Amino acid sequence: MKKFLSLLVVFALVISLFSGCAKKEAGDVIKVGWIGPLSGDQAVWGQCESNAVKMFFEELNNNGGLLGKKVEVVAYDTRGDGTEAVNAVRRLTSQDKVIAIIGPNSSGQAIPISSILEEMKVPDIATVATNPKVTVVDGKVKPFNFRICFIDPYQGAVAAGYAIDVLGFKKAAILYDIGDDYSQGLTQYFEETFTKKGGQVVAKEGFKTGDVDFRPQLTKIKAANPDIIFMPYYYKEVALSAKQARELGITATLMGGDGWPSEQLMTMAGDAVEGSYIINHLDFDDPEVQPFRNKYKQKFGKDSEINGYLATDACTLLVEAIKKANSFEGEKIKEALEGIEIKGITGNIKIGKDTHNPENKEAAIIKIENGKYKFVEKYAVK
Amino acid sequence: MLSWYYLKGIIMLAGIYLLPVLGLSLLTGFTGLFSFGHAGFMAIGGYTTAFMMMKLEVPFIPAILMGGLFAAFFSFIIGKLTLKLKGDYFCIATLGFGEAIRLLLDNIQYFGGARGWPGLPLKTTLITVIIIDIIAVILLRNIIRSRHGRNMIAVREEELASSIIGIDTFKYKMISLVISAFYAGVGGGLLGTYLGFLQPKIFSLTRSTELTIIVIFGGLGSLTGSVVGTILLIALPEILRSFANWRLVVYGVIVVFIMIARPEGLMGGKELSFDVLRNLFRKRVKEAKAEGGK
Amino acid sequence: MSGFIQQIINGLSIGSVYALMAVGYSLVYSIMNFSNFAHGGIIMFGAYFGFFFMTLYKFPFSVAFIASGICAALMAILVERVAYKPLRDRRAPFLYFIISAMGVSIFLENIIIATIGPTFRTYPEVFSAQPIKIGNLAIGRIDLTMFIISAVFLVLLIYLIDHTKIGKAIQATSFNMKASALMGINTDFIILLVFGLGGFLAGLAGVLFGMKYTVYPQIGNITLKSFIAAVFGGLGSLQGAVIGSVLLGIIETITSGYISSQYRDLIAFVLLIFILVVRPMGLMGKVTEDKA
Repeated sequence: MKKFLSLLVVFALVISLFSGCAKKEAGDVIKVGWIGPLSGDQAVWGQCESNAVKMFFEELNNNGGLLGKKVEVVAYDTRGDGTEAVNAVRRLTSQDKVIAIIGPNSSGQAIPISSILEEMKVPDIATVATNPKVTVVDGKVKPFNFRICFIDPYQGAVAAGYAIDVLGFKKAAILYDIGDDYSQGLTQYFEETFTKKGGQVVAKEGFKTGDVDFRPQLTKIKAANPDIIFMPYYYKEVALSAKQARELGITATLMGGDGWPSEQLMTMAGDAVEGSYIINHLDFDDPEVQPFRNKYKQKFGKDSEINGYLATDACTLLVEAIKKANSFEGEKIKEALEGIEIKGITGNIKIGKDTHNPENKEAAIIKIENGKYKFVEKYAVK
Repeated sequence: MLSWYYLKGIIMLAGIYLLPVLGLSLLTGFTGLFSFGHAGFMAIGGYTTAFMMMKLEVPFIPAILMGGLFAAFFSFIIGKLTLKLKGDYFCIATLGFGEAIRLLLDNIQYFGGARGWPGLPLKTTLITVIIIDIIAVILLRNIIRSRHGRNMIAVREEELASSIIGIDTFKYKMISLVISAFYAGVGGGLLGTYLGFLQPKIFSLTRSTELTIIVIFGGLGSLTGSVVGTILLIALPEILRSFANWRLVVYGVIVVFIMIARPEGLMGGKELSFDVLRNLFRKRVKEAKAEGGK
Repeated sequence: MSGFIQQIINGLSIGSVYALMAVGYSLVYSIMNFSNFAHGGIIMFGAYFGFFFMTLYKFPFSVAFIASGICAALMAILVERVAYKPLRDRRAPFLYFIISAMGVSIFLENIIIATIGPTFRTYPEVFSAQPIKIGNLAIGRIDLTMFIISAVFLVLLIYLIDHTKIGKAIQATSFNMKASALMGINTDFIILLVFGLGGFLAGLAGVLFGMKYTVYPQIGNITLKSFIAAVFGGLGSLQGAVIGSVLLGIIETITSGYISSQYRDLIAFVLLIFILVVRPMGLMGKVTEDKA
């Protein structure tokens, strides 16, 4: 009996799968896919992206849709895992027949999906997958992979350049997440640029994803007496490590990448991050950013993470490319994406033909002052 | 309707995961040892395969075999140290092993560190997976049916009694562990060449627990159960995909429900083979005859 | 030198976090003989209980602290009833309990993500962030409080187990459940009690943890460390769990500080294996032979 029951559950679920697909295939609706983590430890960023993408297309539909059609967003959870991303993309491209995909939010998911995109000829615009190898491997560009964010070498170099050339710091320490690709990437390029410019990395300490206590590493960093500590990871760990650093009496300036900016950081870290510098994609106080910022807050009751801004820009990019191509065919969208120029929330974006990266995107240097993100300047490393 | 392309992906993934599941099935289901570190063996297999193919230009099949062998070699060392431990102690030791392997790979920049190793050749095809799966099942079935296999089951059932009647329990545990690590290693190699990408993150603790859940879900001591369990549980998250945020909530509920409702797993130690089918058929025929006789 | 003492302080403070988690886990182990992987989920819920008590209902800290403990205890009992009792009734092997516990922990983590969302939440400030300074050394106020609270509750618990009638009943049940039942001990009640106690401690641990390290759905993952600590010390032994935890905390800090922070867990693992090779039942665990 119980065996029967459990089998029944399984079958019921299988049936729900089929019924889910049997939805009417209206001729005037096209589908756009989104993948990313809706569960797991990256869910904060994934849920924000999926919200932003849905909000974007909802608005587009209300304003008459795209080339006369309504857009439906199909969002799938990947748990932040590469194999799940592969499954999700297989489903999106073959079963849901999406015309393009927005996301994922990490390189570990964006790299393995490229062969499927090529096979199914569906373009993908990654939001914050920053590893150079997402779009270019061994000098060859991957035809259907695009991205909207700047890459690790760029961000790491900007951070190092700004620290040494503008702020005049000579001794840097790095604390990084060993288990995280983004963190390792930034660390490598920060270190390279910083030492090349004559600076000295006096301590380089690691922790493991999920760690909450960084005092052993920070005590060691304190002994090395750096001018600046580079913290290339996400804001939860930033808040904890910054607080613990101050507790241990470390007074060095802190610096981080685009994992930092979030309204949450201030509540979590308080005074500890005061005076820190951040390499960001945009200036939060820019008047052109406000419409999205307010809309998101109104709709979802909380502030958007940085991913929301980038996901929205990815959507704009896609829509412009479709308009330019005047077609929903993957191949044509892909061609239209190459070399396209748009004005997004995060600035002017021009997608390079040979890199599929946004080119000449300037980083925004943000300083935390009085518990607020204060825009300092646009900066490109020389 | 369900598209073949998508289905093919799930079948291939299930076929790849079947290998570590079979290995774990031997270890847990037939020898009674519980491992939380099999993702670690998969990682060793995956990275060895990638190394063989990318750096030494070894062809595909020998490369994945090398991956399996290297994983088996590691398991031998780990086994030497930890197989004497009991129950949860062994379990935590394997858990620590899996995490340690991942940490090691995160740090080795030669293999790309945490940033992963992209650009691996996409050699895994549906046909290779199915052929390897069939060979793996037949091989394992023969092992279990051999004298060695019976001894392993004896170790699972009554460890003390087995050692009294002269079975070298340590040896059989070791054989079981090494074979299961070999299977996991081959599975890791296939996974790498299926994704075209390896990253230590893929081989997390969650992966190890998933494997164990599959084995128990399918039923301890049943290869058929492992096969059916793999197919169902790899497909389950896909089936639940439309649940979005609630997907893993439902997954958790189903795991608990199955344990409560049918703790012996789907197959509960039984095998589905032609013999069983034939017997079933015969029984039917007999019943029919008996009824006809009335 | 002050660096070294600071590292020892760090280690003690990290160790006391592990200890508070490891004890509840070890307590359940001593009775049920299986690793309750749902313990982390209960700790996470404890942290959320405390957070909402303090922010939504504006309870003072002490009330919220105890209330969270009680709520977590009730949850632990509920988990036992739903996920373990049916298995217990049919005398399923320990593997099934572990899988069931894993199912529960997957469920608990994701129900939070699905309902109240994955956002990180910060406790209102109860203890000043300013550490107590002794020369060059810094001791966090929360750390000190945590250390004291952990110590007090652990001593209470050990007293309860060793010196009260109910404690004797718990010990008897953990030693031999069947015989205890025959001797008139209501083992079902004892099991509930143990889950309740374990859950209570998990709730307290959750609140303290949440205060120090913020609240988020993956808090439970940190219990992995306390499982390892409990094994270090010897499963089922409360004193062992405490000693194992403090030891692990100190080993981790010393490794990070003086050997390599990148390879910290690898070195901790090698040490764990070494200890288990020398003492297969952990530091304080009793060596039990199979009953033939």
